Amino acid sequence: MNTDLLIVAVLAGLANYAFRVLPTRMGSSALPQTGPLARFLAATGPAAIATLFVASILPALSLVPREIATLAIGVASVVAIYFISRSVVAATLAGSVAYGLAVYLLG
Amino acid sequence: MSRSGFPSGLAAALPIVLGYLPIAFSFGVAATQTGFTPVEATALSLLIYAGASQFLALALLSSGAPVLITAVTLIAMNLRHLVYGPALMKAAGDDASTRRVWAWGFGLTDEVFGQALGALARGQRFSESYMFGLGLPAYAAWVGGTAIGALAGGSALDGSPAIGAALGFMLPALFLALLLSLIARPQVPVIVVAATVTIAGTFAISGTAGILAGIAAGAAAGVIRR
Repeated sequence: MNTDLLIVAVLAGLANYAFRVLPTRMGSSALPQTGPLARFLAATGPAAIATLFVASILPALSLVPREIATLAIGVASVVAIYFISRSVVAATLAGSVAYGLAVYLLG
Repeated sequence: MSRSGFPSGLAAALPIVLGYLPIAFSFGVAATQTGFTPVEATALSLLIYAGASQFLALALLSSGAPVLITAVTLIAMNLRHLVYGPALMKAAGDDASTRRVWAWGFGLTDEVFGQALGALARGQRFSESYMFGLGLPAYAAWVGGTAIGALAGGSALDGSPAIGAALGFMLPALFLALLLSLIARPQVPVIVVAATVTIAGTFAISGTAGILAGIAAGAAAGVIRR
């Protein structure tokens, strides 16, 4: 077993457990509602997800029209299905299927 | 209003299971393509159980990022989970109960939280048995899907480029869908700053630097805004 991976997995897993369990036990008064810490907590998730979306899409960016079209179809499908279903899982699956179909049909 | 138990939770978990299996499968494939063994890939899902940060762990570890920086980045990324439990207990009202949260709380992922909150909004009453029913199949699907993907390996999809492309797009699709679910007007500057700094950092230095700088700049933008 890769030691670096094990250390990262254990630390991140323990933090996840603490993040999910401890505030639940303490109830809705456990976290600050205003102030810098509240703003930091509120901003970190969107910042991380926005960063990872951009980082994951950058290698797929291309000047080839066919590749631009497949990417646009995938992204548009995720957005459309999310706003119809309000489901992260449904939007992810629909975008993935649409992208795969676009690659198959246009590829 | 009906109080829901374990069977209701199991039924409500079905869409999450159907969604988690292919995403976890693609994580398992990606992990083996990155050079990790099936046991290591499955251990990541078993111990961390947070999809987006697991993909980030692959990117950072394979690019040689220091272990502590990788761990801190993953932890910072999952800070959003801090608000899920209190929000759920608030929505549960008088039915709120946390006696066995030490056992079901780890299963409080983005999707499980969303499903549970949605059920409460539709008038269902909170119960810890329901949370067990909702969380267990989702966790099993995540860990099992990872193991299957890792055992299948990166070459499993060589003969099916369209399916390979679909699985490859699952990660950006997951991030985009999660982003849409988190967007609120006060977070728009955070997202713009994070995206811009990620692009600049990636082209100026490296992909890893872009990711770390993007998260840090976005979170800082959130603290600074009034």
